[in-house]
Parts: sequence; structure tokens; C-alpha cells
Amino acid sequence: MTTGAPPTPAAAPPAGGSSSARAHRQLLEEQRDERRRTFRRPQRTVDTTRANRTGLGSRHLGFGISMSGGFVALFLLWRFAMQWDRYPNPLPTLAAWIVLLLATVATLVLVNRLPDRMPTWLFLAALAAGEVVVGLDLAGYGHTGAVGTYPTAAAAVGALFAVLVSVRRGREIVAATLVLGAVIAAGSVSAARTDPEVVALAVLTIGLCMFPPLLGVSIVRGFRRMVQRELDLVLVQSTISQPSSAVGMLASEELARIDLDAETLLDDVATGRTALPLSPAKSAAAASLATQLRLHLIEGRRETWLHHALTESEFLGPAVNLDDPAGLAGQLSPMQRDALLLAIWLLISDTEGAEPTVSLVFGPFGRTHGHVIGEMLRFPIKMIIEGVPRRRVDPETWQAIRVVGPHIDSVRSGQLHVDIECSIDNPADA
Amino acid sequence: MPRIARERDRVLRRSARATGLTASVTSLAYLAVPGGLDAPVILFAATLILLMIGCQYVLGQSGALRWVLCIVLLGNAVILVIGLATRVDVGLNAVEEALIGTLAAAAVSCVAPVLVVGPQRQLVLFGSFGVTVAGVALVTITAGGSVLPLALTVCGWAALSLGGWWIAQSVPRVLQRVAAIGRAHQAERHASELEAQRRQGARLLHDTVLATLTLLAHSGVGVSPAALRQQSGDDARLLRQLRLGALPTPARSGVYTLEPANTSMLGSTLESVKQRFGRMGLEVDWHGSGQVLLPSDVLDSFLLALGECLENVRRHSGVTRADVTISDDDTTVRAMVTDAGRGFDLSAVGTERLGFAESVVARLRDVGGNARLFSSPGSGTTVVLEVPK
Repeated sequence: MTTGAPPTPAAAPPAGGSSSARAHRQLLEEQRDERRRTFRRPQRTVDTTRANRTGLGSRHLGFGISMSGGFVALFLLWRFAMQWDRYPNPLPTLAAWIVLLLATVATLVLVNRLPDRMPTWLFLAALAAGEVVVGLDLAGYGHTGAVGTYPTAAAAVGALFAVLVSVRRGREIVAATLVLGAVIAAGSVSAARTDPEVVALAVLTIGLCMFPPLLGVSIVRGFRRMVQRELDLVLVQSTISQPSSAVGMLASEELARIDLDAETLLDDVATGRTALPLSPAKSAAAASLATQLRLHLIEGRRETWLHHALTESEFLGPAVNLDDPAGLAGQLSPMQRDALLLAIWLLISDTEGAEPTVSLVFGPFGRTHGHVIGEMLRFPIKMIIEGVPRRRVDPETWQAIRVVGPHIDSVRSGQLHVDIECSIDNPADA
Repeated sequence: MPRIARERDRVLRRSARATGLTASVTSLAYLAVPGGLDAPVILFAATLILLMIGCQYVLGQSGALRWVLCIVLLGNAVILVIGLATRVDVGLNAVEEALIGTLAAAAVSCVAPVLVVGPQRQLVLFGSFGVTVAGVALVTITAGGSVLPLALTVCGWAALSLGGWWIAQSVPRVLQRVAAIGRAHQAERHASELEAQRRQGARLLHDTVLATLTLLAHSGVGVSPAALRQQSGDDARLLRQLRLGALPTPARSGVYTLEPANTSMLGSTLESVKQRFGRMGLEVDWHGSGQVLLPSDVLDSFLLALGECLENVRRHSGVTRADVTISDDDTTVRAMVTDAGRGFDLSAVGTERLGFAESVVARLRDVGGNARLFSSPGSGTTVVLEVPK
């Protein structure tokens, strides 16, 4: 994001005094929060993404998780077969398994048929089926006579929940799984099995029941986060083919909106819906529309691709400070742009927990006189990275930076400084 | 492509770590069950499991094969120690069975997801599976226990290997879709830019809209309501045409051409400016040549600047009459806007405050022109606008 103040040296942490360093960090933190709060995607972007949503869902992934859960259920089924003789009456448990099997098949079919998200009533129906299975299974094993038997179908309900991880919210699945675990735990205790060794097998059963859905939720969550980031990147990657400066999607939409507002206002006046002379509120609206329209029409409201990329990115925007008063970023070749964007993205997306900040300073030109035709123009790009230690920087990042230009990197007061010497074709020769 | 592989590996590593850590912590819980294992065995097993937790954490970061080997070796060591330390006469008790099963089926097999891609890693996968099954089989057979740990082991490995393999297929799949969205979005961006250029390019239109809006901002004082309604209606219609995709250029009052002209006659367009200001109560007198041919962008800027000047006269001069003299030579077209109004002291009022620099000078500079302003209190104002032919 472009800020008025240059990030260096004003924003660099002062060498002495931890309190000023803390103030600096707090400033960065506030900037970041402010940008997060005001972040908005262009409507066109939202529409494109929405139109292509199908397939981005984690349905394919969900099937893999269901399959994994299926193996756990298979083990429990084998165990049920092994303890068949020990049940005083194995029929309730057998019924539980049959109900579970039917419910799972029905859920799998419906999950693959239905669009995007599972409706709530269906989710509740699946949960109810789980309840029935647990009830039947625990009824079969809860007797004192049933020594040496453990819940099987009830635990396999966890596998049923694992089928749902890709079509419902993670917290719903987690809540349902926790309740299931608690019910099975309560069932084990009420069966008066005080034998400590048997507690171990109860733990195993609860573990088998809770592992598949909980792990599934965590995998799906990580997967969705990855897709979100990747989507964010490709959406702003389209800026690299822009001309050296452009209006940008947000400003374009803004201009269209102002035009429409003006049209409505003028139309209202023309048709007499708004009485003349105008009320103070209406005339204030007209004044503000005129001001906005003027601002949007002044030449020089154009910005470089990098500015647009940063303002339109949910991940890059809050974390990157851009200082490019001369719009030099616009002079980079598409290959250099792609590499620069990728380098920033890799630096920021690769960290877990810590929130790194990247400051970019473009230019100024080192030498402005004595230009020889055909000679490349050179200017420096200064990259200051906070919150990523040098050893954690991915080799791919360095490779991308090399595409932008030869560089020197150094670590100063905990910040990683990368000075890139950038060469571009002279626009005057073109 | 390398980024897709990288993202895929990251998802797989994270899955491996989540599985491994959950299973290892559960294994530690078994050790806490009283009466299950002997104290020295618990101590030894706990140490190794803690080491294994460390390896699983690092595996989630790097995915390197050495951590895979450490986990497999440590896990199997714990299994062997527990299995071989048990009293042979009793066989494996329930705690030992559950512990061995959990370790083999989840804590060790957590390495499976990071081993599913690439023939070399798949070889390591089969090797690790073989070693673990052999270890579990050895302890269950020597101790004469049930086949429960063995069945659990096979199921656990199958679940994690196939699950991991499936995830490895899911990631490139979804990333290709994402890339397709990116391509679609590029077209959208291009369209958006064209749209913005079209709207910004309709400068003459926006100029009359701005003038009307400014009038409305002053509640339309000083202009007859009928004229203001008429003007608003015209402007609203132009904006509507612009919205629907046309590029309307007001050529003359009341008649609008939808085609952008490459070169336009100055004279006919000047007439529309005159009429517009006439409606608002400023009489404009034209002098000089009316038949000048200008490129359309230069004409636009010229007319915009002229309109701004006349608007300033209308609002600030205190007179209802202005003179515009158009002259041209081989290279330049010149307009002199003169009024006999109250004038002002140039040094007292900065040109910025007049909006002059922005609205007039900037527009003319865009097309290589210039503007000069002369005024003093009590003796009117003169503005000279110049644009190249």
C-alpha cells in the first residue's frame, strides 16, 4: 500500500531504546489493522470469483478424508465381528451398523449431488442418524453381561462426521464430534468398568471416534486457507499485464458509481421529483458528487500496477508499504513484475503466526545525464523485510528476486535489507 | 508448476504433523493409566515419545526424509521396548495393546502423507510400513497377544497413505481451477480499464455535468428552474447513454451525436457552450474565427478550460456578460476570455484557490497548451488560453 510517509528511514526502528521500537511496531500494527478494516475487493473480482466457485470447494478433498475415515470404520467393523460372541444380544449393535452404513452412503451421495454447501436440515438429519447409531450401539453393550465388548458402531459415527467436513463449517463438526466423544466416554463410565486396563481401550475407542473428523477439519481448514491465498495471488497477478499506469478496478467502479449517482440526481431534477430550489441536503450531495467527479477526472489519478496489486490483495495490502513517488514500478517488464510480486507474496505467505512487513522503496535514478541510446536505465529497489529471519527465506524467493535484478542482502538491526539493482529498457528509446 | 508442488507438500506436511502430534499425545495419555506399564518402561517410552513429538513438529516444517526416518525408528523402538518388556506368561495387557496400536497406526504412520509423492519417497513409504508391521507382528506373536494392534496398524497406514495420496491429487486440481479464475479475472481487469478510459475520455460530457452539478450545489440560485430542469434532463440523458456503452459527445445544444469524431469544428461546439451559459444567465459574446479544426482531444480540453473560465466569470465577476475572442495562427489556437467585473488581486488570491491550476491549466497542459491570467481589483479579468493546432 502506498503511504504518504516514506517507510525509511522514518519508519525504520531506531537503533536505541526498546520503547521507541515498540512504538514503531505498534504503528505498523495499527496501519495493518486499518488496512484490514478498509479492505474491499472490486465488485467485478467478487463476481468472477463467485461465478467460478464450484470446484474450489474442497469436495474432492472431502472424499479423500471420507475414505480415510472409512478405514477406521473398517477396523471398528472388524472389531465388532471379533466380539460378536461376547454380546449377550448382538442385534442392536448390528442394527446400529446397518443404520450407519445406510446413513453414510446416503450422505456421500447427497454431498456429491448438492451444490456448494449442505443444507442445515440435512446436516441435522445426519447428526440424528448418528444419535440413533450411538443409542443402538450403547444399548447393546451397556449391560454388565457384555464383558470384553466395546462400542464399535458408535465410534464409527466419527467416520460419518468426517464425510461432512467439506460441506459444513469446521466448528459445527468439532462441536458434534466433542459431543459424540463425551457420550461414548459417559457410556464407558456408566458401564462400571473400573478396571484400569480397560480404561485404555475406552481411550482407544474415543480416539478412533474423534480422530477422523477432527483431523479432517484441520486439513480442510488448512486447505481452504491455501486456496484463499492462492486465489488472492492470481487475482492480483492480472495486474502485471497492465500498462505502466492504469486507473485500476476500484477507481473505475467508483467513477461508474459517481456517474450513476449524478445521473439519478439530474434525472430527479429534470422530471421534477426533486423540487427546485434544492434542499440543503440535496445541494450538499450535488456538491460532493461534483468534487468526487472532478477528482476522478483529473489526469494523474492513475497508479502503477503494483499499487493496484497491493490495494486489491487481502494478504499483501496490510503487510506491504510501498514508496514509489515516480511510478517506477510501472516501468518494470512483465517478467520482472511477476517475479517481484511473487517474491513479496512468498515472503509474506510463508510464515505461520508471525506477521511480517515488507517495505519497498523505488528509485531514485542514480544517474540522469549522459544517456546513450540503447542503454538500459537503472534504478534501485530497496526491500526491507521485518519479521522474517534470513534463514527462513525460501530459495524460490531469492530466485524470483534475481529475475527482478542483481541484489545484495544484509541484516541490520533485525531487519533483512535487500537492495535490488533494477535495469529497464529506456522508455525514451521505444 | 513448482509452486503447486510446494503448496501440495505444505498441505501434506501439515496433515502429517497434525496426525502425528495428536497420536503421540494420546500415547502419552496411555502411559498415565495406572497399573498398565512398569515404571522404567514408562520412563523410557515417555522419553522416546517426547523425542518423536519433536521430530513430528520439525517434519511439519521441513518434510525432510531424515525426520521421517527418526520418527519410524523412534516409534518402532518404543513398540519393541513395550512389547518385549512385558511378562511373557500374561501376554500383552489392554494398555500395551492400545498403546502399540496407537503408536503404529497413527504416531508412526503419520509419515505416510509426506511419502506419497515421488517413486523414491513411495519406496520409503513401503519400507516404513514393512518395518512397522514387522515390529508389531514380532511383539504380538512373542507375547502371544491378540491381533488387535496388527489390524489397527494396517488400517491406520492404509487410511493415512490413501488419504495423503488423495490430498496430493486434490491440491493441483484446485490450483488449476484457481489459475483459470485468474485468467478470467485478467479479462475482467482489462474490461474495467477500458470502461474507466471510456468514462474519463468523455470529458466534454463530464464538463457539462460538472457545471450543472455545481449549479445544483448552489441550489440553482440565479438560474431559472425551467432552464435548470432542461439542462439536467439533457445531462442525465447523456450520462445514461454513457452508461449504456455509447460515447456521447454533445455537439450542439439539444442534438447529440453518438459517434466520437476524430476532428471537430470549433465553431459549432462553441455555440453549445454559449447556449449553456446563456441559460444560466451569462451572456457570452463571440468574436473572431469560428471555423477552426482541432483534434478531438485538444478540442475537448480547450472547451473544458473555456467552460471553467466562463463559470468563474459567472460566479465571481458580478457581471452578466463576458467576451470571448478566438484567434488562430499556423500553430496555435487562442481564446481570450474577458469580463468587466470586479476583478481581484492576483497576489492576494492564490491561483490554487481558484481551482484554476487544476481545472484549467492542467487540462491545457495535457494537450500541450497553456493558460495565463490577468486581473486587478476593479478592472475585470482576462484569461488567455492557448492550445496547439
